[in-house]
Amino acid sequence: MQALHLRDARFRYKGSTAWALDGVSLDVEKGEFVTILGANGSGKSTICLMSNGLVPHALPGDLEGTAEVFGLDVRSHPVTELATKVGIIFQEPESQLFCMSVEEEVAFGPENLAVPSDEIRERVEWALELVGMEGYNDRSPFSLSGGQKQRVAIAAALSMRPDMLVLDEPAYALDPVGRVELYQVLKGLKEHHGMTVLLAECDSEEAAKYSDKVALMKDGRVISYGKPRDVLGDPERLRALGVTPPQVSEVSALLKERLEGADFSFISVDEAERAINEKFTNRKRGREQ
Amino acid sequence: MTGFIDLYTEAGTFLHRTDPRVKIVAVATLSLLALIMSNLVNLLVLAAVMVVLILFGRASFKKTMLAFSYVFRVMALIVVLWPLFNPGGTPVLFDLWPIKITEPGILAGIATAVRIFCLAAAWYLLMFTTSQRDLVRGLVKMGLRFDFGLSLAMSLRFLPTFSAIVESIKEAQRARGLELDKGNFRKRAKDYVAVLVPTVITALKMADTLSLALQSRAYGARADRTYVRELKMRAGDYVALFIAVAVFAIPATVKYIFSVPL
Repeated sequence: MQALHLRDARFRYKGSTAWALDGVSLDVEKGEFVTILGANGSGKSTICLMSNGLVPHALPGDLEGTAEVFGLDVRSHPVTELATKVGIIFQEPESQLFCMSVEEEVAFGPENLAVPSDEIRERVEWALELVGMEGYNDRSPFSLSGGQKQRVAIAAALSMRPDMLVLDEPAYALDPVGRVELYQVLKGLKEHHGMTVLLAECDSEEAAKYSDKVALMKDGRVISYGKPRDVLGDPERLRALGVTPPQVSEVSALLKERLEGADFSFISVDEAERAINEKFTNRKRGREQ
Repeated sequence: MTGFIDLYTEAGTFLHRTDPRVKIVAVATLSLLALIMSNLVNLLVLAAVMVVLILFGRASFKKTMLAFSYVFRVMALIVVLWPLFNPGGTPVLFDLWPIKITEPGILAGIATAVRIFCLAAAWYLLMFTTSQRDLVRGLVKMGLRFDFGLSLAMSLRFLPTFSAIVESIKEAQRARGLELDKGNFRKRAKDYVAVLVPTVITALKMADTLSLALQSRAYGARADRTYVRELKMRAGDYVALFIAVAVFAIPATVKYIFSVPL
């Protein structure tokens, strides 16, 4: 059983003629960190919204094909049920925090699920600690920075004890520091808590660094799905799809073009260091001999 | 919208610790008390008690003055206008048709102004000692439907957000050359459309996400919702409740059963 299982899924929003998803097949295994990359309107948000049943329950339309979350068909399970399996975090930090204190924000989900007060308090402490926001219980969400708001939004999803977190361009409104904090939290959740993470992004920088797998989307279809180094190697192709390539992959492409015999294709700084070191030490040795 | 301030001032005094439900009842009884009294001396005593309570609550002087600056203006207006429009009784102090001013008129004006002060002070006592979330929690516990309470909480929560949005849209439009505070009333009203439309669109977009966020957190999953912090009446709260009720019940009995004017 996969965390997310889409087979030839098609979805068309009510009142629209175009298919937002046009035959998507995508499997996210439990415990994986998967990033969906694509331009605006490529269908990545729709996949996010489908993962907890907002599509098709809150945002109706025609849904065809298979769409299952932890083995549950999204058509026949309401959002309130899927919400305990999948926590979703949206792009805009401000409009998804609606309570007057961080504590109430994080407690809101379990409160709706009628969890006893004592346990809610434990869950709030647990969730705030996981995202590094302990001690902020009484602060107003309004007074927090963008990165802190997104981390509170993650805590608010975590307090419902989901098995998967889905984030739709969560770093969109964040400064570089906020981005790093956010991704560090997600990485920790995956590594130490076996959390399945599904991210939608239009910038592949972090995708290259943190993902187990990357899906490239275009016009409602997944056009390539695999390990980051297999999918993100070609910066030209990424740019054509409206995706910002990882900065080092541009360096790699340039070196490949301008340096004879340099068959580089690296997508992270570590890889680049290793590859370049190897190349030049080899060459030096070759000359000395 | 931009002038909104949260009156709540944090301090751990007994007024802050009292259960919000008791404080809501106390505001009601103190307001009623101010309304059934008409004697200036009695009202002044009540006003003095209010001032003492505000001092006990360690209110911030700045916020208090800001909150009451409007009240003082209304009081001044009443003191001036009441005798002019309600010139009853004797002795007459000044009589030049059509203006007639009497001593009871002046006293009644002052009494009404003090009454306004008492009403405002009663509400201020609640607002500066009770955080917005306790207030909403208290109202929900007193029988307000949870979804109404949540709407109230959200409107309070989003006030500063919208205030910030309005500010940034104003700045953006100014940067495009819009002169917002120039010209006559009609021109200014027309100019503000350029601020209003983006604000409304932003608000609608936010409301969309908000509804998705609410559902994603299992809003409305069960009728028997729990709360992370339950309000609990302690012994001190019962004492406070008793005093709050007595403070109205005793004078009301004296006035309406024993017919003693207050």
